[in-house]
Amino acid sequence: MPGETTVPAVHPAVHPAVHVVGRGVVAQRLVRMLHRRPVIVHDSRWAAVTGVTPGDIVVLAHGGPHAPAVVGLLDRDLHVVTVGDSLDDTVALLDLNLGGANRSLVLGAAMSPGLSGLVARQLASSFATVDEIHVAIHGTAGPTCARAHHRSLSGLSPTWRDGAWVDHVGGSGRELCWFPEPVGAKDSYRARIASPLLLHRAFPEVERISARRSARRRDRFTAWLPMLRPPYPEGGVGALRVELRGADPTGARLCLVAGVAELVGTAAAAVAAAFVTALADGVIPPGLVLTGDATLPTLDLLRRVESFGVRLQEFTGVPQPA
Amino acid sequence: MKLFRRILAVLMMAGVAAAGIRIRGSGGVPPQHGGWRPLELPPDRR
Repeated sequence: MPGETTVPAVHPAVHPAVHVVGRGVVAQRLVRMLHRRPVIVHDSRWAAVTGVTPGDIVVLAHGGPHAPAVVGLLDRDLHVVTVGDSLDDTVALLDLNLGGANRSLVLGAAMSPGLSGLVARQLASSFATVDEIHVAIHGTAGPTCARAHHRSLSGLSPTWRDGAWVDHVGGSGRELCWFPEPVGAKDSYRARIASPLLLHRAFPEVERISARRSARRRDRFTAWLPMLRPPYPEGGVGALRVELRGADPTGARLCLVAGVAELVGTAAAAVAAAFVTALADGVIPPGLVLTGDATLPTLDLLRRVESFGVRLQEFTGVPQPA
Repeated sequence: MKLFRRILAVLMMAGVAAAGIRIRGSGGVPPQHGGWRPLELPPDRR
């Protein structure tokens, strides 16, 4: 096409097609959010993503590892967006050598990782120095997400603490976290999720990074077993809570908390849709893209997330008696 | 019978103690202000 010659090499075609791999809750909601764009749905059981043209955007929104498919997709000159929180998969994706890639790999465009990184980066703009980032999530999207939640409570949970990774037992470290209403207060525990790894890459100067997820006593005690009953088709209203501690420009201590209360599938799909539209508009740099990265247009991405119906909230604190 | 009376006595004492705490205890008034509000994103300066 004559018009293609004027498009910069790092940008996709004028109207790139979006290929969504997966048929779960997040994938279905993502397809609905992107209804104004050409969207093709692929089954994750198929061996390869077919019918693509260079510059298209592939969203891996299925369960299981994404890393094996990513290299092939990038080699085919496609942008890739992954939606997932598997720790092993994230480590494999972070280890990929994308030095010469002229396409983008957006890693973990979901609620957490994903929205947690964007919110953390936005909150960090109020700080002179950030010392601690603590993320907590409540709820699950579809059955695959629920199974991942179940497994995550039995593995080792990576926590960045004073310059070193510390592996805590999943299901330990109970903390009562206050999520946005209507979720409210939930007991939350350490879990094997990828958010701390990605946040540490995006905020290498931060001394403490942790991630927790809400769980009931039964979840913790049965975490080492297979799920005792099939998960629900979709979890209820979930929530995300991101807390940053540090110092403001005057040196005073500052603690800011923000989050969302939304169906996890909707929030994850909104983040993926925000990155898809940003990729289509050519505002995402090539190579490995982490959601908390300082080089990203975080405000623009958060506005895109809100445009898909996810309402960001901030904790105003409780007034102290005079 | 002796065991039964002892158990009954313990339960009664526990009930009296719980009622005392319930009636006389003061946990204070929960916060009436604060909480969550919509996050206003700053204007784009680009």
